[in-house]
Amino acid sequence: MSENKFDRGSALSIFGSDRKEDFMALVFALVIAFAVFLTY
Amino acid sequence: MVYTKKSPALFIIGLIMLAIWYMADSGMMAGYIEHLANGKKYKYGSELTSIPMYFGIVAAAIGAWQWFGSHKEGHWDYYSSTIAGGMFILLIAMLVRWFVAPEIEVVSTAMGEVGQTGSHIHKLLGLNYVVIGIVTGMVIVNVFSIPEWAQNGVRLSRLGLKTGVILLGTLYSAAELKNLGGLSIVMIGFFVLGSVGMVLWIGGKRKIPNSMGGVLSAGMGVCGVSATVAAAPVVQAKSVEIAYTIGTILIWGVGCMFVFPIIGQLLGMSYVQFGAWAGTGILNSAQVAGAALAFQPDGIETLKVAEIFNITRVLVLPIIVLWLAVWYVKREESATQVNVGQVIFAKFPVFVLGFILMFALSSTGIFAPAEHYKGKYFGNTAESGFKDDKLLKDADVATLRSEFGKIERTDRKDALQRLVENRKIMSPDDDDVLRGLVNSKALSKDANKILKGAHKAVRHTAKKIKAFRNWITWLFAFGLVGLGMQITIGSMKQAGGQPAVIGGIVGFVKAALSLVVVMMLISEKI
Repeated sequence: MSENKFDRGSALSIFGSDRKEDFMALVFALVIAFAVFLTY
Repeated sequence: MVYTKKSPALFIIGLIMLAIWYMADSGMMAGYIEHLANGKKYKYGSELTSIPMYFGIVAAAIGAWQWFGSHKEGHWDYYSSTIAGGMFILLIAMLVRWFVAPEIEVVSTAMGEVGQTGSHIHKLLGLNYVVIGIVTGMVIVNVFSIPEWAQNGVRLSRLGLKTGVILLGTLYSAAELKNLGGLSIVMIGFFVLGSVGMVLWIGGKRKIPNSMGGVLSAGMGVCGVSATVAAAPVVQAKSVEIAYTIGTILIWGVGCMFVFPIIGQLLGMSYVQFGAWAGTGILNSAQVAGAALAFQPDGIETLKVAEIFNITRVLVLPIIVLWLAVWYVKREESATQVNVGQVIFAKFPVFVLGFILMFALSSTGIFAPAEHYKGKYFGNTAESGFKDDKLLKDADVATLRSEFGKIERTDRKDALQRLVENRKIMSPDDDDVLRGLVNSKALSKDANKILKGAHKAVRHTAKKIKAFRNWITWLFAFGLVGLGMQITIGSMKQAGGQPAVIGGIVGFVKAALSLVVVMMLISEKI
């Protein structure tokens, strides 16, 4: 995949920066952890 | 730019998932599943009758909207357009995990054991759902190319891997970190600093630019792509140098990911030994996880050890960045002074902090009782969850008795003696000793199977921790199939020239030396 196919993010990520991707991963992980905490 | 494609692809993916669920749930697949089980219990029965239903409904519903609806440029279009690619990766991960990998295991088992190794070829080559998933991804991107409707979603794979690494924090205990942390800090400290120093030294001898040497040393020494990106502004690396470094790391990492598990199997390494070696010798987080899961696809012990080493290595990053900043400024009089503290603050990977946060949350005991070891606890009484039908049978006792002669260590003999007398494991210490006996592979497969059964009977896992394990497995499976789809022949060619030579020498020395150190220093007990 070449970089210029996307006008947002990079060839490896839909996010504009690694920091943004890291924060999104943190948000997802916290949501999953909360769901597990409530469900089991 | 409108990203959502008016394509039936996602709708069809949803229908395929629903068809898999229906055939599994209604029993239409019973014969095929029995064939895949190969005389054992099929491991994925509960997954097969739930996961494809949930995701199938979501994919079919959103797929119908994407196919027939109208789409306008904007945030919603951008993010929802990733669903088709995400579901595409997930479908491949499902097919590989539930059908392709078990089928390969059936064929490999039918071919018999390889020479004197006592293992089948699929085990020796690490042909499990992880490796097959990555290879499938690589084949798709290099032979067929990624379909246009899936291209945006393939870029979600790294997000999946990072989320998985953060959640992995829930599986560690303070005791584990204390035990493994000390060892990992010593090993990682030695090998990271050693590799950075070696790249800089060889780079100087081969007269590559300081910026190239600096960025390559961070990539080869610390944690691949993140370290490369973090070190780049400090040594004022050009984008082509960053690309060369990432290409070198990628080609080396991909090679390691396939070769390490084979060597591990050939040397009969234990989970801890292999985890420590992979976490030290392989450069990129994703490839460390890939190798660990390839070595032990039916458990998470190796992955846990490897990730401890991997995370420890990432934590060394600020020190390396500082070192490189001082090194570079000393060599390049023209170099502009950069604020090292600012660079570290701006580039340090937050997901590593997320991992630590999750570990801290887990340590409070909110996911599993704090006194339990890693959400797992020992219990050999009815009150603590032991079932009497799990007591060893007469035939099991006879098998174990016949193998006493193969054991050299007294503590192992004593623990086995107590197991045979009581027909169940009597203490957590005995359990640890017998785990070590299994990992040492000193006994026959039948005896090891009995010992594993005895271990399972007294080890109970907290439900929340079990749920986290499932999430982590799927996030990694998703991320690694997607990772395969990003490994193009073009990106591998980028490793050509000097960086590849230097990277190859340093990578090989690090892998070989760390293997020797691991085999000498680490016992097999987990």
